[in-house]
Amino acid sequence: MSSSLVSKFALRSLGRNIRRTILSVAGVGIGCTVALFLTAFVRGSNELRIRSIADSGFGHARIAPATWEKQRDNDLRLQNGVRDLAVLQGTEGVKVAAPHSRITALLAFGTRVIGVEMLGVDPQMEALLNRVVRTVSEGRYLRADDRDAVVIGSVIADRLEVTIDDDLFMTVVDHAGQMQYAMVRIVGIAHTGSKELDTGICHISLDDVERLTGYAGSAEISITFDDPLSIDEMVAQIEGELPTGDIILPWNEVLRAQGGDAASDQGFMRLLSIIVVVVVILGITSAQLTAMLERRREFAVLMALGMKDLQVIRLVTIEALVLGLMGAVAGLLLATPLVYYTATNGIDFSAMVEGDFAIEGVLFDPILYTDLGYWMVPHALIIAIVSTLVSALYPAWFAIRTDPTSALSLREA
Amino acid sequence: MSDTLVDIKKVVKEFHTGKVAVQALRGVDLVVKTGDFMAIVGPSGSGKTTLLNIIGALDIPTGGSVNLFDRNLSELSRKDRADLRLHQLGFVFQAYNLVPVLTARENVEFVLELQGEGNGRETTALATLESLGLADLADRRPTEMSGGQQQRVAVARAVASKPKLVLADEPTANLDSENAETLLKMMRDLRDTHDMTFVFSTHDPLVVSYASRVVTLRDGVVVSDEQRNGDEIGED
Repeated sequence: MSSSLVSKFALRSLGRNIRRTILSVAGVGIGCTVALFLTAFVRGSNELRIRSIADSGFGHARIAPATWEKQRDNDLRLQNGVRDLAVLQGTEGVKVAAPHSRITALLAFGTRVIGVEMLGVDPQMEALLNRVVRTVSEGRYLRADDRDAVVIGSVIADRLEVTIDDDLFMTVVDHAGQMQYAMVRIVGIAHTGSKELDTGICHISLDDVERLTGYAGSAEISITFDDPLSIDEMVAQIEGELPTGDIILPWNEVLRAQGGDAASDQGFMRLLSIIVVVVVILGITSAQLTAMLERRREFAVLMALGMKDLQVIRLVTIEALVLGLMGAVAGLLLATPLVYYTATNGIDFSAMVEGDFAIEGVLFDPILYTDLGYWMVPHALIIAIVSTLVSALYPAWFAIRTDPTSALSLREA
Repeated sequence: MSDTLVDIKKVVKEFHTGKVAVQALRGVDLVVKTGDFMAIVGPSGSGKTTLLNIIGALDIPTGGSVNLFDRNLSELSRKDRADLRLHQLGFVFQAYNLVPVLTARENVEFVLELQGEGNGRETTALATLESLGLADLADRRPTEMSGGQQQRVAVARAVASKPKLVLADEPTANLDSENAETLLKMMRDLRDTHDMTFVFSTHDPLVVSYASRVVTLRDGVVVSDEQRNGDEIGED
């Protein structure tokens, strides 16, 4: 069976003006490269954000009391904490489930006093979840059998002028609104490198919080998943299995400012990508239109011979599709080494953040690794093909508007 | 169906240049019958090309009526006119106008593909080229052929689908007399063997000498319509 001559015609037409074809392909390719790099950057930054949030003890998602979303009150406790944990332990894909509670306390040493938000933790689970555990460079982190022991950040230690094994006088308010007092011993001091974080770290065991405040159980369970890309699916799955009274929230609803930042970053980069694609579309439209103008007589003749509008559109579209495919390949060839380099070596923002990159209690790695992956192939194809197809619309319309009578009016050979 | 292919009555065609209206055709009456080998002659601006555009369903008249293959041209949509051109008409242009990126065979085949012909189109295209003595040009692109060869391939393209009527606009204008004569003989043979009808617009006395009917236009009006007998043909 002979192949379609319309396709052959379209393909060979690209060879008529090699320079223009090369320039068009280069235009699509460069546009693709910029869009791919921006997307790889955003995906990398999103991955960094999610990883940093998870590693800072917030997890990928959190189980909280149903009323927490509105009240955000430290006194709230899970309605079914034990059953929640059982659900999480029975769910494939859940990596760590670390229960937490939070209380506001005053820590005093001699005449020096400091107010902190203490985090009640299960030491074993916390060690799997929270990178703060690994930053305890003086002393050690909490153990399961510790009682009245505390790990504090280095800034708190400096302000209170305390060191390992010093006893702090701790004041909290219990569930009945009464002041409760206890002596807690410093077993570890964390140095995260972030002044902001080291001012807020104060970990104590969940049992101590329960005993001191009288609030039973945990206030939340921070969860990480094996696959950080499946957070939404995992949240939806767990949501259906949780007992009533408790809810699961993804990280971007727990840390709304971070979620908003991530969304605005993505929106901004998407806008930049769209601008790039629009510039590419305008460039290719111009080149395609010039090609159509040069072939005005040819289109007039084809229309005179009886070629239909749809057949003309098909011809122009096939040319655009082939240009798009070549542009996608060029884009991938240019973008892959660039993304590979930044994915393996990273982009170091240390100088910009002066080594202290913590926001909302989340310690960020100052080195961002772009995301290199197979996603680039369909992404490049979609950008290149869509932009070239859109670019072909006006030239195609122009071609079908060609007056076939001009076929007989053009007399020069 | 009658042997009348085209029936033109009191056709007027008006063009507007800014606010000025110019009448290219002013009440033309013409009937084209099966087997005609008709030359439309006249000085530049007499309306030859406009008339050919209307006969070829490329344009519609401002006034009067045109029946093409028993269909009223003014009632046909743009798509219907394209269909009519594709299936009933063949075109030969002064500047050959072959598709430069396709070979001779592919140029002929292309029209057949537009018509929706399937697997047999390559065979038909080759058979057409062969019947016109152009088989050796089948794989050449237009840039690899002389003007005469290109125009003969253009004739092959026009007649491959066996249209009832072939319109040729100054077909010999870019050819030397030898090539022009070869072309005209080829077209006359096609008329004789395949019962095709040819209408030329021309200035060329050689074309006129081959014509069985000569229609003269002047200022948008038919001033003479001369039917010629066999003795006169080819002897001017």
